[in-house]
Amino acid sequence: MAVLVQPNTQVIIQGATGKQGMYHAQKMLEYNVNLVAGVTPGKGGQDVCGVPVFDTVRDVKKHFHVDASMILVPPAGVLAGAVEAIENEIPLIVIITEFVPIHDSLIIKSMADQKRIRVIGPNTIGIISPGKGKVGIMPGNIYSEGNVGIISRSGTLTHEVSSNLTYKGKGQSTCVCIGGDPVKGTDFVDVLKLFREDDQTETVIMVGEIGGAGEELAAKYVMENGYPKKIVAFIAGQTAPEGKMMGHAGAIVTQGFGTAESKIRSLSEVGITVVRTLDELLKVV
Amino acid sequence: MKLYEFEGKTIFREMNIPVPKGKVISSLDEAKEAAAEAVYPVVVKSQVLRGGRGKAGGIKFAENEDELGRVVNELMGMVISGEKIEKLLIEEKLKISREFYMGITLDPKSSLPLLIISAQGGMDIEHVAKEYPHQLFKMYLDPLKKPRQYEMIDLLLKTGVKGKVLVQMSRVLHNLTECYFKFNAMTTEINPLVICEDDTVIAADSKVEIDDLALFRIKAVSNFERKEELLDPLESEAKVAGVSYVGMGKGNIGLISGGAGLGMASMDMISVHGGVSANFLDLGGGATTEKTAQALKIVLKTPGVKGVLLNLFGGINNCEHMAKGITSVLDEVKPNQAIVVKMRGHSQDEGWAILESRNIPLIKHGTTEEAVVLLMREMEKEGGM
Repeated sequence: MAVLVQPNTQVIIQGATGKQGMYHAQKMLEYNVNLVAGVTPGKGGQDVCGVPVFDTVRDVKKHFHVDASMILVPPAGVLAGAVEAIENEIPLIVIITEFVPIHDSLIIKSMADQKRIRVIGPNTIGIISPGKGKVGIMPGNIYSEGNVGIISRSGTLTHEVSSNLTYKGKGQSTCVCIGGDPVKGTDFVDVLKLFREDDQTETVIMVGEIGGAGEELAAKYVMENGYPKKIVAFIAGQTAPEGKMMGHAGAIVTQGFGTAESKIRSLSEVGITVVRTLDELLKVV
Repeated sequence: MKLYEFEGKTIFREMNIPVPKGKVISSLDEAKEAAAEAVYPVVVKSQVLRGGRGKAGGIKFAENEDELGRVVNELMGMVISGEKIEKLLIEEKLKISREFYMGITLDPKSSLPLLIISAQGGMDIEHVAKEYPHQLFKMYLDPLKKPRQYEMIDLLLKTGVKGKVLVQMSRVLHNLTECYFKFNAMTTEINPLVICEDDTVIAADSKVEIDDLALFRIKAVSNFERKEELLDPLESEAKVAGVSYVGMGKGNIGLISGGAGLGMASMDMISVHGGVSANFLDLGGGATTEKTAQALKIVLKTPGVKGVLLNLFGGINNCEHMAKGITSVLDEVKPNQAIVVKMRGHSQDEGWAILESRNIPLIKHGTTEEAVVLLMREMEKEGGM
């Protein structure tokens, strides 16, 4: 039945009245998402594409049950928005915004962990369960329903891998972009646990990249717990120069830490199929 | 943003972390003034951002005014691993009894700040980790709760310190933690933290790096002067345009990607097919027609580029806007390099129509590999390989 996002998931957008907020509210409605409200302080009483806007998350909750919030506010406003969503106990919070200060992400992650609330991101395109719904900014038409679960740090590689699979007739159960920042709410291991229990997901694709330790931790998890489904992994940045930040804040190899080789080795050692190119991925799934 | 030692010490002083008495000078006149006032012996420390300055001869001592003049003359303007010395920090020479290490940095595995202390200070901490792993003592910091004094004392007791020194060190540790959070630091480090012969505890060095994304709210740092970084002209142009550009220094294929992950994967694919990427350019979000056009112009200007791959998505961006940006460059610059576009996503039909009307080789449903192969074929046609 896919993970995180279902057909009946009720979603709000924090930052719905901004340019991006309005554009993606429209796109979510086109994808038949149950977008019940928007939140922008000072804009309560207005509407976006016919969806009512409230001043606070608490106000929304007086009128609607809320399963998920998508945060699309500027970086300096993310901490306040996320804290508001967490304290109002929205169980799933997706932070799309890029360039969030790391100390804000640290606070958000710790608060969410304490309250057992799932945060995805920051710096993500969100989550889509094709054919069912999305809490994200991905174009729905390049995704299709099926049995492959995708976990990716990169937004564009989520699009790339999913669309390639779609064109080859292979659909996806849920695609989770965990985001490109060094501190993120949800990592590979968390999503592997969800896909493990999901009857729709038969194969899992992990799209990693240089920097950080998420891929190595996933390998450790699989080594300690086994995994009942096939996992295929790809690591981007095999030819990236050391010491240069490659677009994402988290994608940097420093003092030999976070190299593609280390990740490929860790994953291969526990029996995960690691492919060298995106096209090879299509052949083995 | 990495801070110079003297800047870090300004912050330490504000946070009540004891630092040596000292003065920063940036000219020979200032040096004369400082020499007359100094209490000898002194240490003269080059202010550079890169590590390893001690080994490179960037730290010297002086017993009197004459010696200080000589040392200042020697150091000022000297170049240490590519960095010219323009400022010196003249400080009292401490009577060192022992050297400790104290530092906080983000641990990538737990995604939590990690506090490390060691009685093996004064050397590279990576070296200590390798040679004396049992002498590193670690504690994760909770971003929501300040560590308690007893927790700090527990940790310090492991290093064997006692009495008056223990109390002073627990204060430094507490204040360093406060400093890490208050200044939104990536790293705050004291190496060495010196215990003097009279049992006073002083931070002899400072290493502080602030999160660039938080600079907008860290007032103290806005006073620290920085020269414009010496970027290569294309990197500065990219900075102005708001795109992330990394020049590779060589290569025949220019690259523009709609995101960082896809950019890296495209570089990897180019390499598999025997090409060499001349650059990495992540268009990022908010790719307007103008931004796309500027990005393409920058890549076309990259030396050695014979063909350009644009591997784009209309996710947060819009295919129609990006397509208009591409065609505007064809009209303005009339490039003779091969250009291949792979693009899909929001408003893809509108975008594709614009590119097809100009006969730009286009991959709609194909893979990145197909796009790279097509580009190489186009480059052969142009005789560019």
